[in-house]
Amino acid sequence: MTTRILTPEELALLSLVQDELVPSYGDLPPAGTLGAALTVDAYLAEQPRLRRPVLTTLRAIEVRAGKAPFAELDAGRRVEVLRKVENADPESFSELVKQTYNAYYTRPDIQASLGIDNPPQPLGFELPAFDESRLSRVRAMGKLWRDD
Amino acid sequence: MAAPELDSDVLIVGSGASGAAAAWSLSRGGLRVTCLEQGRWVDPSEYAHSRPDYELARQTSFAKDPNVRGWAADYPINNSGTPIYPLMVNAVGGSTVHWSGHFPRMRPSDFRVRTLDGVADDWPFTYWDLEPYYDLNDSMVGVSGLAGDPANPPRSPRQTPPLAFDAGCEAYLRGLENLGWHWWPCDNALISEPFGENRSPCNCCGPCDIGCPIGAMSSAHVTYWPKALAQGVQLITHARVEQITVDHAGQATGALYYDDHGVRRSHTAGVVVMAANGVGTPRLLLNSTSARFPNGLANNSGVVGAYLMFHPVAFVSGVFEEVVNGQRGPIGGLMNCQEFYETDLARGFVRGFELQLSRSVGPLSVANGGILGHPVPWGSEHHEALRSRYAHTMTTSVMLEDLPEPENRVTLDPELTDAHGIPAPRVEYRAGENTQRMLEFSIARARELFEAAGAVEILVDPLVQESGWHLMGTCRMGDDPERSVINGWGQAHECSNLFVIDGSTFTTSAAVNPTSTIQAVALRCADWLGRNYRDVAA
Ligand SMILES: Cc1cc2nc3c(=O)[nH]c(=O)nc-3n(C[C@H](O)[C@H](O)[C@H](O)COP(=O)(O)OP(=O)(O)OC[C@H]3O[C@@H](n4cnc5c(N)ncnc54)[C@H](O)[C@@H]3O)c2cc1C
Ligand code: SF4
Repeated sequence: MTTRILTPEELALLSLVQDELVPSYGDLPPAGTLGAALTVDAYLAEQPRLRRPVLTTLRAIEVRAGKAPFAELDAGRRVEVLRKVENADPESFSELVKQTYNAYYTRPDIQASLGIDNPPQPLGFELPAFDESRLSRVRAMGKLWRDD
Repeated sequence: MAAPELDSDVLIVGSGASGAAAAWSLSRGGLRVTCLEQGRWVDPSEYAHSRPDYELARQTSFAKDPNVRGWAADYPINNSGTPIYPLMVNAVGGSTVHWSGHFPRMRPSDFRVRTLDGVADDWPFTYWDLEPYYDLNDSMVGVSGLAGDPANPPRSPRQTPPLAFDAGCEAYLRGLENLGWHWWPCDNALISEPFGENRSPCNCCGPCDIGCPIGAMSSAHVTYWPKALAQGVQLITHARVEQITVDHAGQATGALYYDDHGVRRSHTAGVVVMAANGVGTPRLLLNSTSARFPNGLANNSGVVGAYLMFHPVAFVSGVFEEVVNGQRGPIGGLMNCQEFYETDLARGFVRGFELQLSRSVGPLSVANGGILGHPVPWGSEHHEALRSRYAHTMTTSVMLEDLPEPENRVTLDPELTDAHGIPAPRVEYRAGENTQRMLEFSIARARELFEAAGAVEILVDPLVQESGWHLMGTCRMGDDPERSVINGWGQAHECSNLFVIDGSTFTTSAAVNPTSTIQAVALRCADWLGRNYRDVAA
């Protein structure tokens, strides 16, 4: 896999982290397994301001994991590490979470699982027309504004 | 007409809501009008609505904060002194290029707050003076809505009917009817049926805040600009104005600007009209220093840039058990509740607020906190939490009247500049005590509404950081030159051929979105200027 900003090691770590952030759900695989790390790598290439918080967070995760690599920790321990990193630098961590959500929820297959068949245009949505009879109580309230 | 050696009779700076309306109005009478606009035309192909990743546009190419969006036309703003960030769009059509199109009018009492409530200042004219221009503006832009709201004076029939009434409206209605509060389908600057040329009616696609690709939204680039251009207005894009020039007598002579290639040019005119918005206009006037105006043009009073008003906004969201599909239908305009609009001192504050009962956003924006301000948690609870909110949430904006205070202001940053080296604005703002008391009270009312509507969870963002949509008051109107920059016709007290017509003109803020009033004021000023051009032109 060719990355633009992340090293292969960072990409692998990000992928594992993303599997904890957005885990599997029913038939849906977790975010990392779906390839969200590669999408985040593309975001980092396009938007340099995102690099510092994401890379800082990945480094902090490695450090917090201690001697054993993050990959070798069990699920409970991974989440514990992530919570600690989040508490230490919530701002950077939340950027990594945000970019993971960005990568995950822009996928048509994930959108389909939420009942979204198309982007908003060109079809839009058909909604019921406004029914003026609903206003009868309010109309009867009389004048509610002040004269000058 | 001005002397033929002048480049134009009237030079307008800024092509947004007010600049577009004034360009159309002034050119009707045959004046030679030029508009300098730092931005460009947004190409319809740039809108993201047809892509699955459309929600990303809120964070990138169509972000509302220019510091995040970073278009070439955007200038940096130093926000370190304000909890509310100014938001704007720098393009042909200005901040109406991607907005929500909520289009309420101010009420008669809003123009008379000193007389009625003993605070701030009265406007130099009344609602009734402005009413014909509200009507004219509505007929130009196309509004959807319904006349007959008992909370407002009677008004002319709306151009197109109110928008759809769906499950989210039913949810709100449960609460409103339980509480017996006022509500009305609000006026929106968007068309629900065919109106105007090259525009399609709204198809309820949802994310108006990242622009409208079909021209349903009544943005200035699809309403006024085609007509103004047909009347011969010259619109120069990619033209960043650096300063307004003056002669030895202190009369405005035109502007210096940087063109598309970065070349510094001058444009001369008999009258200069500022329409660069509530941050851009004071910035330019403050940057236009001369021997006659050492503190900035028309600023010997020190009032330029002062009295900045936002509408401090809280978002209160109700999560419902049933599907309300808040992501469908125009994001902003649904219903207004003006139960608490007029002053009732028993509430602990003066003036009032409205509850804007709005919709919601798609799954990505819900996950990221979107307009809720509360991101969905990551980890094992993520999917259930997301599914409980997405398509189940409606969001109400609490919009309250912000009183004008001289300490809240736009100044020039001593260090920060834009790409052309022009000093950037610095914004200093804090919500006053009255505002804070009103915020607390209004959030409690919004909670009460959602409780009465049967929401299972209520989320509150008590002061939304990215909510400086409404930039008002920084070159305020008034009769007193010590407390105002311009008179009721937009004419500067200190420089008779300089006019200001944008959001900075507001004497007070009212508790409704400002743009229908901004455009009505611009039309009224332009009308007067058109009739009196010979007398005021340099
Ligand atoms: C996301 C968003 C949502 C909104 N929703 C609503 C809503 O629902 N209802 C409502 O009433 N209002 C809403 N608003 C606010 C509304 O857009 C503004 O009130 C309105 O556009 C202000 O009009 P204006 O003429 O004062 O300035 P603008 O429309 O901002 O126009 C100013 C123009 O001046 C140009 N300019 C500035 N400086 C220079 C310079 N140095 N040289 C050349 N050109 C310059 C800018 O590029 C810009 O095009 C919203 C705004 C935003 C950003
Ligand atoms: S909801 Fe309507 S007005 Fe808003 S973007 Fe979609 S079509 Fe345009």
